[in-house]
Amino acid sequence: MSHPVSHGSVARRSIATPVLLGLLLVAFALVALAAGSKPFNQTIIDIFLKVIFVVGLWVFVGNSGVISFGHIAFAGLGGYVAAWTTIKPMMKGLSMPGLPDWLMQTEIPYWASAGLAAGWAALWALIFGSVLMRLSGIAASIATFAMLAMVNSIYSNWDSVTAATSSVVGIPIIRSIWPYLIAALIAVFAAWAYGISRHGLALRAARDEPTAAAASGVDIPRARLIAFVISGAIMGMGGALYAHSIGIVTPDTFYLGLTFITLSMLVVGGMGSLSGAVLGVLILSTLIQTLRWLEAGVEIGTTTFALPGGVQEIGLGVVMILILMFRPAGIMGNRDLSLPARAASETKGLQSPKT
Amino acid sequence: MSDLSADRVSVAFAGLSALSEVDLKVTSGQIVGLIGPNGAGKTTLVNVLTGFQPATEGTVRLDGQPLSGLKPHEVRRRGIARTFQGGRLFRDLPVIDNLEVTGVGLGLSRAAAIAEAEAMLDWVGIAPLADRIAGTLPYTDERRVAIGRALMRKPAFVLLDEPAAGMSAQEAQDLSALIRRIASEMGCGVLLIEHNVGLVLDLCHHVVVLDSGVVIETGGPAAIRASERVRHAYMGTAADTNLPVLEVME
Ligand SMILES: Nc1ncnc2c1ncn2[C@@H]1O[C@H](COP(=O)(O)OP(=O)(O)OP(=O)(O)O)[C@@H](O)[C@H]1O
Ligand SMILES: [Mg+2]
Repeated sequence: MSHPVSHGSVARRSIATPVLLGLLLVAFALVALAAGSKPFNQTIIDIFLKVIFVVGLWVFVGNSGVISFGHIAFAGLGGYVAAWTTIKPMMKGLSMPGLPDWLMQTEIPYWASAGLAAGWAALWALIFGSVLMRLSGIAASIATFAMLAMVNSIYSNWDSVTAATSSVVGIPIIRSIWPYLIAALIAVFAAWAYGISRHGLALRAARDEPTAAAASGVDIPRARLIAFVISGAIMGMGGALYAHSIGIVTPDTFYLGLTFITLSMLVVGGMGSLSGAVLGVLILSTLIQTLRWLEAGVEIGTTTFALPGGVQEIGLGVVMILILMFRPAGIMGNRDLSLPARAASETKGLQSPKT
Repeated sequence: MSDLSADRVSVAFAGLSALSEVDLKVTSGQIVGLIGPNGAGKTTLVNVLTGFQPATEGTVRLDGQPLSGLKPHEVRRRGIARTFQGGRLFRDLPVIDNLEVTGVGLGLSRAAAIAEAEAMLDWVGIAPLADRIAGTLPYTDERRVAIGRALMRKPAFVLLDEPAAGMSAQEAQDLSALIRRIASEMGCGVLLIEHNVGLVLDLCHHVVVLDSGVVIETGGPAAIRASERVRHAYMGTAADTNLPVLEVME
């Protein structure tokens, strides 16, 4: 009666993917440690934050196939949670006098604020998602963009609790790379766990054949909502840590710029797989950093070579277009990193079809 | 014992009447055939029975309870499964995952869904294909995957929309045997839509003939075979290929 190959535990079959991705992140951290320079440290921190954002985005976009332009709103919600809960009460009183007293007096450690930010963003993802997840295709994408604009507009105008468009300063800056590494690892493993869960499988099926998925008992809006909430939570956590990495937030910190770069990383890496999300960040970040150095000038012997200003943006655009021309589904397509010997069948749990 | 019925179901698409006052009933363990020329409304009726298409008038009932207003996934959760004319497999997923989706859609854990999917693949006779990517399968195997996917969690009813389309005579024979087992071994009520009239008359306890949305004949295989109206409906279409089949049966 039984099939020749046992399909056993999906987790065991696919665990290599997050482990390999995790090791890659650890390697980046070790390089930063070895380099020991402050600006380079900050670069690596920025990469880990992007990993959190792009992986968070992947949980929803990759599995549902619905492009979201709105996820950075959840990062913004998280960033302001960090501002509300970690700035010294005295400073808060100056920039955000409208905060309720209990919140004004709250001063919690950065990791607690990151956890709280995840919960707060998840709550709003649940509220927005309950409405948005009924839409599909381009209508859903436009609605997510509207959500981003809405959150931005509220935070830009509600000055008594957000200081409107002026910078909220005084967020404790965390300079160690380890908290960011740990958060990125949490994001990767959470995304993997979601991907192989029954909800992840149902959502990927619904992405490829919605009609057949519904006929198989899949409640598509609900499956989407679950992904939306989990990805919202990851974005919220990332947003809080972002705030702790720079010590300042404004509503525009979490707006179009970050939306564009994170989506680009996801698309270039390949939104069909978790590995695509992570590698998209690592590859594009490395590229951006290299171009930046070249722009700043590199000394070779006695001469300094420097690329003209603006080359960074142009170079990035050209490389992105080239990658997408040759690999329209992104660098990874729908493949995941896995151990070579088992590569053929082992990544199945995470693999996501059509891209 | 369970029964699924359409009571005086009508569907109109922007003025065009796709179904008018159609009655149909399937009970557990029974194979009911639904035949009729292209555009007769067969798929539309399946869509109505499975929540994909609201009836303009009339009611679908499961054991006497109206199913009106239920979404497709809710209908499936009540034990009414279907396949699609075009297959509609999850083409980039392995075969086993195709079946698993129904398991998890109906609330199983992945581990439990995998176990049941393995057993189901064996039951429909395609266990060795478990790890193949569904989109790479030949036609006949695709059909079995679609049927296996529908049969996960043992639905009370399964509606098969042209499962034998494009199959050779031998392949259609093998499929007939499987459909028979679905009714006899699993106790499912089966609604079989097929252009291969011979296959339908051979398999079904009861047959309903639709033409332009109207039921023009119902009865056992013998009555359908003898019906002038059925013969006429089939001759009136371009689907000449059906005619010889009907003649062979006589
Ligand atoms: N969504 C729709 N909108 C408008 N008209 C439709 C729609 N679906 C079906 N029709 C029309 O309703 C009629 C019945 O179609 P249906 O698909 O049910 O026929 P069928 O019996 O399944 O045919 P076939 O044997 O070709 O599969 C046809 O005239 C078709 O064009
Ligand atoms: Mg049809």
